[in-house]
Amino acid sequence: MARGHDSLPAPGRGGRAGAEPGLIVRECAGLALASVLARRGALERASMAVRTAFGVDLPLAPRAADGRGVTFIWSGPAQWIAEFPAPVDVETVLAAALGDAAAICDQSHSRLVIDVTGPRVREVLAKGVPVDLHPDAFEVGDVAVTSAHHVGLQLRQLSVAPAYRLSVPRSYAGSFWTWLEHSAAEFGYEVLPSAGGQG
Amino acid sequence: MTVPTVPHQSARSAAGGLIDRSRPLRFRFDGRDFTGFAGDTLASALVANGVRLLGRSFKYHRPRGLLSAGPEEPNALVELRGGDRREPNTRATVAELFDGLEATSQNRWPSLGFDLLAVNRLLGPAFAAGFYYKTFMWPASFWERVYEPMIRRAAGLGRIATGPDPDSYEKAFAFCDLLVVGAGPAGLTAALAAARAGLRVLLAEEDFRPGGRLLGETRRVDGVGGADWVGRQVAELASLPNVRVMLRTSVFGSYDHGTFGAIERVNDHVPVPPPFEPRQRLWRIVARRCVLATGAIERPLLFADNDLPGVMLAGAARCYANRFAALAGRRVVVFADNDDAWRTAGDLGALGAEVVAVVDPRPLTHRPALPAGVEAITGTVRRALGGRSVRAVEVVGNGDVRRLDCDLVAMSGGWMPTLHLASHQGARPRWDEGRARFAPGSVPPGMGIAGAANGDFTTRAALASGAEAAVAAATALGRRAGQPPLPEVEPESDAHAPLWAVPASRRKCFVDFQNDVTVADVELAGREGFRSPELAKRYTTLGMATDQGKTANLNALALLAADRGQPIAATGTTTYRPPYVPVAIAALAGPHRGPDFRPTRLTAAHGWAVEQGAVFMEAGAWLRAQYFPQAGEPSWLESMTREVNATRRAVGVCDVSTLGKIDVQGPDACEFIERLYANGMRTLAVGRARYGIMLREDGMVLDDGTVSRLAEQRYLVTTTTANAVAVFQHMQLCHQVHWPTLDVQFVSVSDQWAQFSVAGPRSRDLLRTVVAPDHDLSNEALPFMAVAAVRLVDGTRARLFRISFSGEHAYEIAVPARAADGCIRALMRAGGPLGAAAYGLEALGAMRIEKGHVAGNELNGQTSAHDLGLGRLLSTKKDYIGAVMARRGALTDPARPRLVGFAPVDRSQRLGAGAHFVPVGAAGNAADDQGFMTSAAYSPTLGHWIGLGLLARGPERIGERVVALDLVRNRRVEVEVCNPAFVDPNGDRLRG
Repeated sequence: MARGHDSLPAPGRGGRAGAEPGLIVRECAGLALASVLARRGALERASMAVRTAFGVDLPLAPRAADGRGVTFIWSGPAQWIAEFPAPVDVETVLAAALGDAAAICDQSHSRLVIDVTGPRVREVLAKGVPVDLHPDAFEVGDVAVTSAHHVGLQLRQLSVAPAYRLSVPRSYAGSFWTWLEHSAAEFGYEVLPSAGGQG
Repeated sequence: MTVPTVPHQSARSAAGGLIDRSRPLRFRFDGRDFTGFAGDTLASALVANGVRLLGRSFKYHRPRGLLSAGPEEPNALVELRGGDRREPNTRATVAELFDGLEATSQNRWPSLGFDLLAVNRLLGPAFAAGFYYKTFMWPASFWERVYEPMIRRAAGLGRIATGPDPDSYEKAFAFCDLLVVGAGPAGLTAALAAARAGLRVLLAEEDFRPGGRLLGETRRVDGVGGADWVGRQVAELASLPNVRVMLRTSVFGSYDHGTFGAIERVNDHVPVPPPFEPRQRLWRIVARRCVLATGAIERPLLFADNDLPGVMLAGAARCYANRFAALAGRRVVVFADNDDAWRTAGDLGALGAEVVAVVDPRPLTHRPALPAGVEAITGTVRRALGGRSVRAVEVVGNGDVRRLDCDLVAMSGGWMPTLHLASHQGARPRWDEGRARFAPGSVPPGMGIAGAANGDFTTRAALASGAEAAVAAATALGRRAGQPPLPEVEPESDAHAPLWAVPASRRKCFVDFQNDVTVADVELAGREGFRSPELAKRYTTLGMATDQGKTANLNALALLAADRGQPIAATGTTTYRPPYVPVAIAALAGPHRGPDFRPTRLTAAHGWAVEQGAVFMEAGAWLRAQYFPQAGEPSWLESMTREVNATRRAVGVCDVSTLGKIDVQGPDACEFIERLYANGMRTLAVGRARYGIMLREDGMVLDDGTVSRLAEQRYLVTTTTANAVAVFQHMQLCHQVHWPTLDVQFVSVSDQWAQFSVAGPRSRDLLRTVVAPDHDLSNEALPFMAVAAVRLVDGTRARLFRISFSGEHAYEIAVPARAADGCIRALMRAGGPLGAAAYGLEALGAMRIEKGHVAGNELNGQTSAHDLGLGRLLSTKKDYIGAVMARRGALTDPARPRLVGFAPVDRSQRLGAGAHFVPVGAAGNAADDQGFMTSAAYSPTLGHWIGLGLLARGPERIGERVVALDLVRNRRVEVEVCNPAFVDPNGDRLRG
């Protein structure tokens, strides 16, 4: 498959050749995403409803919280992205759980979501992400709503390894990849075949 | 065939120096081949080769050599590299030597040795302070064509490369607990002490080798040579995981909240950067604390012809000798007002130089030790003598004047702390009269200063203050840091009694070497009333060259103070501003150049449009299909005409995904929408859409779009492509600030949905083929302005809007973005037999102009609803943003330019947007202006050009004629004022 304008290029190596690529990147296709915005004064109700339905507390700080079959990612005051690992009718599922405690809006098609890891991943991200990703400052489960190369970016740490999940608006995917590829080139990078949401 | 001989490194001593003699490097300066060694700078290699003349001065084209050995160098500016990598104004003192380096001297013609423009020296008076404002004033007509080109040629610095830069540049962010600027003895000590306390430390050093002054001196630390001690510290730093040492990195600016700018010269020390690597990297460093260990710059002394090649700062002469094993002269006179510089005699003598004398004005009872045979003279140097380099000095001492032959004058007026970064946030340095140095006036929060930058000029004091600064930083961050044991250092004296006096002479005595500003210039500025340092600086241009007067400013202040008969402290200083060193524009731009200047947005169906051979154009951040050329269509006009005709006669399909789309929900969503839009929205029923306009608070139109009620408490509002972000921000402001009590939630869904316009008399037939058969698309079930959730035949969930921008019976169908490609292909496949065409922005624009619909050209922020013929939409039954201000008389004045249509009287003539309307027969002066054409297009439907525009009293003047005067395209077209709805003014097609 040729490089799409809103997906990653075909699997393979790029940039400097070497034994181990500095950055390994993989698209997370098939996620289901929704914006969840608590109704006015309904934060407590929304949180209770999520705890009941998914067994997790809605994070009130820039963190991600893994519940049963869904992760809630803080995206602003009283708003979250709900991320499901596989396609699902997010508005129906979440409305059933949250009732009138939150506004739900399907965003499954709105983002390019990729996982990045590799020995040089922090150095690559430092070329555009104005966030301190040092382990003392940013931990597994931490979330940043930020930007890179003038593209809005949501970022969260998946593992100590380190691995991060990045999400950018679909229409910006091509420009974002141009930046990421340029930034990773000196270390070498590898694009893996796309996978489902389980990073 | 003869091989050109490479000159021997005649001034290099046989051993010593921090150079790698096993790695000779060839380089070329002004066409001559030389060799140096790894570890050399271009300057040190030239010194080693006995090259003394490095450039010509800015105004007078005087011969110039090296003044310094560091970043403060004012004279030795060269063009580095060639071709598109040519880089002007590079300081030879900081250019790391590499094999194959090519450098060219600047500012001389035709050659460095023989410079015709040196005749400017004879015109000296013409170039005195303020010469720009005086000499070239008359006659005024000479300025542009004679004086300025002449000055430019004479005063030119280096030449920039004219082609695109072949290298790449990056930006990067770094974070740390403690940023240490400078890896001299104080910086190394601070970094190590902080690192041992567990702080995340970033140590930035401008040089390619850490060590600072220890590299250029012979001091022993902890029983070993300075460079070896540095090596130990660096090794320990390298072993610590919480330390990052960045060499070749200049911290050039200090900004709010502990933010610093730095430039890393990643690959300036190689001819061509390796593949995939940038040339330079611009860092933004965010540090919780900072220690400035930036050292100090030595002050030149003022005497006649003090700019002759061979007159050099004493510390620089020692640096070339000790660090680079290169002697800047064979016969040396030291002229200094401090003990530190006396060491020059021993250091240079040890390498075999003959040191004639140390001249020092201070009456000393305890003189520093001198090697045997060096005379100590209590006195001053009055003048340097020589042609292209110094041959002798005139010394005034012990009541007589002597002439001492020499080829190197090592001068020192003491050391000036490098406090630029402490001053970048506005705090001016303060003159400490007692210690004869500047101290920071106030230090930015979180910043400590150590070492020579703090006035701790001895190695022992520098080490101690480095440790103290680290402990203070650690304590401030809640860490416990032990005071590290300080290494043994041999005793030193930093005794200093500054010499400010300047010998009276008719010869030039330079204060600012790079901008050729003399003592006489500064004194003249004082006489002419420019006594404040800020005024004197601008009048004389002192301190305004690429070196920012690093070696000049203090001497100038002392001169101004003397002129005013007051102390330096009362005279004031100028402010240091970033950047501390020149930063290339390419580095500031980083990867944001060419098509990557800013990100480009692409619609979900972009790949399909590329396959169709679409020609794209930029629309805001988006790339959109402009038209879809087919074989036999020579230009956009033919393609657009075909696309419009297909749409008006059959059906056309256009990607309109770029419109802003905002999902609005909540119990108060209706109220929110009602307050945002100027027209009534409360009565909008579920399943219906309505055109709406939003005003700004000042009553002008902000944007237009459609509001669709998807459910009782859920709306979808669309914005124009251009205003999508502005409208979302406006909504956020209204919700968060004006009406925080409204229970409403909204989020952008612009990237979630792709949207296609399907327009034309056969649009329903086409949709029928892609929408699942159980959905009724009849006029009764889906009338004009109806909205429905539908499924496509393949099961895709979609939204169908019966809305029209083209004026045709039309729909917009929205599908989730990943379904866009399939949807457009299905539409075009099924559309083939119906005569469907894909249309682009040209056709879209032509059709909306034919319909008289306003768009970005008319919604320009200066138009009111009345101007646009939308006044009747303004609700009188409710309050909304902009309601009160929109009622201002001036905004509803019928005399304002208002929207009407235009057609050329001679139908064959072409119209252009931007043309101004003037009465027929008028000359076309500004006084005749009655408005302007906002949009113009060729109308395939009417077969001639048409336009929309804003004309004073326009709607009252339908049928009149005016002239559309286009001074840019030089066109003058008589046009008829008409109804802006050229096609189907009653809207029959929309509903049919």
